[in-house]
Order: sequence, then structure tokens, then C-alpha cells
Amino acid sequence: MTKLLATTALASLIATGAFASELTVGAANVSSYLDPGRDHSNVGSQFYYNAFDTLIAKNHDTTDTEWLPGLATEWKLINPTVMELKLREGVKFHNGEDMTADDVVFSLNRMYQADFPPYQVRARDRLGNFEKAEKIDDYTVRITAKRPEPLWETLLNLQQVMIIPLDYTKSLAGDPDKIEHDDYEAFSLKPVGTGPYKVVDFVPGERVVWERFDDFWGEKAPLDKVTVKHMPETASRITSLKTGEADIVTNIAPDQLGLIENDPDMKAAGSATALFHVMIMNVNHPKLKDPRIRQAMSLAIDRDTLNEALWGGKAVVPSTHTLKEFGELYQPELTTFEYNPEKAKELLKEAGYDGFEITYDTAPSYYTNGVLAAQAIMEMWAEVGIEGRVNVQDKWSGSSADMMARNWSNPMYFADPFGSFGVMWAPHGPSESEGRFNTDEDYAKAWEQFRFSGDTELRRAAYAELMERIKQDPPVLPLYRPYESWAMKTNIDWAPKPGHIPYVLDFRAGSIAVN
Amino acid sequence: MTDVTQTSSSRGTPFHIPMWSDANWIVRIALLVGLALIVVALAAPLIAPFDPNDQSLISRLRPPLGFERYKDGFFLGTDELGRDILSRCIYGLRLTFALALAGSIIGLLIGGTLGLLAGIAGGVLEDLVMGMVDIQIAIPFTLIALLILAVMGSSLDVMILVLGVYGWEQYARIVRAEVKKLIQMPFVEAAQAAGATPLRIAFRHILPNVVSPIVVQFTLNFSNIVILESTLSFLGLGVQPPTATLGSMVGIGRDYLPTAPWIVLVPAAAILLLTFAVQILGDWLRDKADVRLRTR
Repeated sequence: MTKLLATTALASLIATGAFASELTVGAANVSSYLDPGRDHSNVGSQFYYNAFDTLIAKNHDTTDTEWLPGLATEWKLINPTVMELKLREGVKFHNGEDMTADDVVFSLNRMYQADFPPYQVRARDRLGNFEKAEKIDDYTVRITAKRPEPLWETLLNLQQVMIIPLDYTKSLAGDPDKIEHDDYEAFSLKPVGTGPYKVVDFVPGERVVWERFDDFWGEKAPLDKVTVKHMPETASRITSLKTGEADIVTNIAPDQLGLIENDPDMKAAGSATALFHVMIMNVNHPKLKDPRIRQAMSLAIDRDTLNEALWGGKAVVPSTHTLKEFGELYQPELTTFEYNPEKAKELLKEAGYDGFEITYDTAPSYYTNGVLAAQAIMEMWAEVGIEGRVNVQDKWSGSSADMMARNWSNPMYFADPFGSFGVMWAPHGPSESEGRFNTDEDYAKAWEQFRFSGDTELRRAAYAELMERIKQDPPVLPLYRPYESWAMKTNIDWAPKPGHIPYVLDFRAGSIAVN
Repeated sequence: MTDVTQTSSSRGTPFHIPMWSDANWIVRIALLVGLALIVVALAAPLIAPFDPNDQSLISRLRPPLGFERYKDGFFLGTDELGRDILSRCIYGLRLTFALALAGSIIGLLIGGTLGLLAGIAGGVLEDLVMGMVDIQIAIPFTLIALLILAVMGSSLDVMILVLGVYGWEQYARIVRAEVKKLIQMPFVEAAQAAGATPLRIAFRHILPNVVSPIVVQFTLNFSNIVILESTLSFLGLGVQPPTATLGSMVGIGRDYLPTAPWIVLVPAAAILLLTFAVQILGDWLRDKADVRLRTR
């Protein structure tokens, strides 16, 4: 009997991963669907890179742009609006299907010529310049843009154009030989890609389980199995790390870092994430129509103090909406906002501000330090005489005409100012269509040059012009670039790579090691 | 002193007010704690050393007196925005108290009136009221509260409404049962025979006799409402920040439990004291009001 018990104990030890490389991740948020095409959320971006590939890959070890062959091995422009790509042969999807030009053309055109509403949104805000993808032969495709595209590689490296299988998707719902919207809905619950891990279990909002995909075309995955579990409470995530229930946990607030660092069994890794926590202001709110009031709302905010107090000085406070990931378009020398309470008081006086209440909305827990920063900002507003009130609610108020100001995050969807500022603040883009931001002809002209010019200097100049307009009549201004941390057991070597978009859990070969 | 001991002989009077000398030591402690809390709540602006919403970002998360990094003057430490925990607790207690009191009174008025009407009128009205009582009992109240707050948004008014709706069914049941019992008593029949109107009978003859169970129910309900308010605030559905209630302080502080436990422990202790005092007093009042227990 004792022997049996001992053997069972030993067997269960092996099975629970003492020897096998299995990991459990405690995540603050887990997606409610998994389809790289329709998703661009900070929650979703965690999950795609392990299971899906793009045609053009990227070196994520650096913030510099270095394109690598992905599912395409070569690509060249055959004229300014047409790119031809040679596809990698011998690539298999997780369900065993071979990847060919049909899958690539399908994956791209489902976005480029979107008729499924969730795809249409993404198609409009970032893929609007792409007309179609065509099959030339089984391993050659051509992509046609509407006008010369300065960001070819960047926009083929996007999460939204990761490649998914045609036959599998067709077969999911309704007619097995036709693509219907229900197929996309079904796909988002049983996603299949070509990446080094396959999704073997997905419970929306609760759990994602990856297993190594042995037929992966590149270097095999270092882990046998990874389970991502939803653990919404910071305290319970840290506890689960301590009890061994989890090996890595996400979203550790700066206040908790001391606790992790003082524990010999745990460590933390983090970085200033490639996104801005921003304050958006409704330019069309009757009481905020005067830009001087909105300028004052920002001038009153001492961002450096927020950084010191709430982020332990680890966040990054810029002077404009720019990130060093933008490469040649990075323009830290611009001053779009600053802390100047005296000027704020003056502007309020000039604008005839009479002490009316300005509400500042925030979700209760979505953004790290969101509610704290909101309350601190109310104190800073009070210093210059603005009567502010925090309004905590889960509801997204950005599309409401009553919204005065609120926090938000403006992520870098891809490493270009178009992928950060540009997507959200394009003429007729998401912000304008929600009714809290207006553009005119001049803005549209500057934006066109910023988006499409083939000359980097002209793009820089247009970018600076847009920033100047944002300064004069602000609909949005960054607060800071937050510092996000992950905590893990000391035997795990993992850190967010600088070349990724925010929050990617990259467990591919070379990105994680378990000792 | 004999007057005091003689109170036990006033059994026949409708409502008997228990006295200090009737109380055992634990009830006396509860009485003192309760009184102290009431005084603190009433005198909050005089007692609190700081404005409860004054922030000092450079001295956040400082521990209470006696610990390393203690900041002078902030006896119970500071919270995540550098606000004085003691002051926030005092004001939080005041608001929690006010909310619970308002909630209990509204519940009492709704439940008591409906119970009285049901008991006297009988028939369809009684079925209707008791049907509503059964429905209310069958649905977990937190669910109802979450629904109301989700639909109407969280503000002080809505919060009072939610807390007021809580517990009315208990009053209704107790009052109706008492009324049904009393209405068959000879003195009520006598009043009816003398031609008293139903309204007069209800308010003159019956109501005074149900005061005792209502008072008991009130105290029990009060402490439950304190806990409900804390629960809702803990879930982030209570009063909006920066305003503090004891529950919201616990709710917001829970992220800091491993690093700055005082943010949670101090208001949690206040909730404990408050509910402890009220529950003990409620229990005691019930024992005193129960004739069978009193004769033992």
C-alpha cells in the first residue's frame, strides 16, 4: 500500500510538471474571443503571437525595425502599389492542413474586403489602403494597395493580418463550402493558426491552454503546455505565485513590486509599455467648447509627480504623443503639453470659467492606477480652481455626448505614429466617429501627408503639425507611458521583448526559459 | 434604586425600556462601544485631524504609529493617495452610520406600514403583500442591489434607496404576525364594539403593541445594512471616490493587503465594532422583549 502511494505520488509529481515544462500564467484579464483579425485590445494582444504567424516577421529583441521572413520568405514591390510575396512551403496549420496561397488570400481579403462588421472596423482604421490579395500560384500571392504605401512591411506584420486556414474556417458553421459570418464567430472560439503553440482549450474570459505544436515550421516551442487562467485580483495573483498555483502572473502594479522583490522565490520583469495612458476631452461638450479650458485641464496636471508617486518613477513622461519605437519618426523634442499651473489659471480666467463641475470618468480597475491617478488629477485641478469630480463606471463613456473627460489608453498597434496616434485620431477615425473630436480640411491634409508620404522628412513635418493642432485644440493628451510588470518564480527567465506591441505573452523559442 | 428593579414588574405595558442594571458585562461593553461610535460619527468634523480627502502623494502608504516609516501626525497611517486613514475612517463611519440609519428607517416605514395594512385588512391586500414578501425573500438581495445600481448608476441617493429597500419584508412579516395575533385580543374587540374606526384601532390600539418586536428587528436590520453597504462599496458599487465609507475603504484597500494592510484593517475593525455593538444590543433587546425569556 505504501509503495503504491509512493509510486502514485511520484507519478503525479511528474505529471504536474516537476519535469515536464509546463507553465501556468495568472492573467488579470482573459479575452472573450480569440481572432487576431477582429481584436486589437490590450487583453487580446497577450494571446495571438504564440499561436499565429504573419507573412513578414520582425526581430522583437530590439525597438529598431528589422524585418524577417515569416510565412513569406521573400517579398518585392513589382510596382508602387503591388507587392509580390513568395510563401514558405511545408507550413502546416494546427489542424494538419497545409498552408497555401488560398489561405493567405482568404486571411488577407477577409480584412481588406471585409463584410463582417468586426473586421470592417479594423479594415477601416488601419488597412484602408489595401485593395486585395490575389493568388498567383500555390506559393505566390500579390497584394494590391490603392495608392503607394510607405508602410508595406509594417502593415503585413500586424496581428490583424495573421494567417488563418480557409478550409477549416469554412467548415465551422452553416454550409461547409462557404464562408459565412457564423464561421468567423465559430473560429473565434476554436482558433487555428500556424504558430509554435496550438490552442487546445479556450473558455472565454476564463482560460486559454496552449500545447506545443510539433509540426511548427520554425524552431520548436520550448514549453510543452501553458495554461493561462483568469485571476482578476492583484492580491490573489500574487498569492497564487507564492503557493505555486501560477508560475507567471500579469499586471503587477508598481506598489506591489517591493513585495515581489523582497521574496527570494519570486522576481519581476517589466518595461515602460508601448502605449500611453491618456486623458481624452470632449471638444463638442457645450461647456468645453473653448479650447483654453481643455488646455488648462492638461496644464494643471503634474505628470512627473504622478509618475514619482504612483509609478515609482518608472513610467515615462514625454512632452508629446511620441514613442521611441517610431524610429525615424520619433520626435521627443516637440512640446505638446507641459505642467504649468499659472498658465492654466490664466487660461481659465480668459475663458471665463465659472467653476462648473467637470467630470472625469474612469473604469474601476481596467487601467493600472487609473482610479488613483483620476483622484490625484482632481486635486491638481482643484489647485488651479477647476471643480472636478471622478466618476467611476465600467461603461465606456467615450461615445456619449455627456462625457466631459476620461482616461483611456492609446496603444501602439504597430511601430509607427500611424499605429498609435494615427489610428485613433484619423479624419473620420474612431474618435471622430464617436462625436468627441472634429477634423477639418487642413487636418485631413496634414494627416494624408503624415500617413502616405514616401518622404520621411515630410512625414515628420506633418506629424509635428498634427501635434501642434492637438496642442491648440486638444481632444486628447498623454499622461504617461505606464510601466507594466509581470511577476514570476525565480526559475523562469522571461521578460517582455522591446519589439512587441504591448502585453504580448511571447513564449516562443528564445523568449522564455525554465531552469 | 428600587424604581429601576421594579421595571421588571411593568410586564404588562406595551414597550419596556431595558436599563443599564439589567445588562450583563458584554452588553455594557456593547453599549459603551455603540455610544462611543455615535459620538465619533456625530463629532467627525471636530475630531478628525485632517480633511478626509486631502492627498499628499509624496507620503502615500505610510504605516501606523510604531512602525518604520511612520509619518508624524498620521496615527493610523496613510492610504494609497497619502490621505489620513484615521480621518477617513471617522468620516467613513459617519457616512456608513447615516446610510445604515436612513436605510433602516426607510425599510421600517415601508415594511411596517405594509405589514400593518396586511394584518388589519386581510383578504386580497394581505395576499398581495405577503406574496411580495415571499418574492423578496426568494431573491438574494445582493442580486437586486447590483441590478438597481447597475441600472441607476451609483450615487448617494441610489445607495440610500437600495439600503432602504433592504429588509422591509422582515418588518412586514413580523408586524403582520403581531397584528393578526393582537386583533383577536379582547381589548381590540372591545374597541371595535365601541365603534372605533379601523384607522383608530390600528394606530391607537395595535401599533403601540408592536413597537417592541420592531425595535428588535430594527437593531438586527441595522447591522445587516452596515454589512450590505460595505459589501456593495467593496464591489465598487457604493459611494463614488474620493468619498469614504468603511466598506469602500476596505474595497479599495484590498489590493494593498500584502503591502499596506492597515488600509484595510483599520476600517474593517470599525465595521466589526459597529456591527458587534449593534448585534449584541439587538440580541439583548430581543431577550428583554420576549415574555417567555423574561420570566425565566
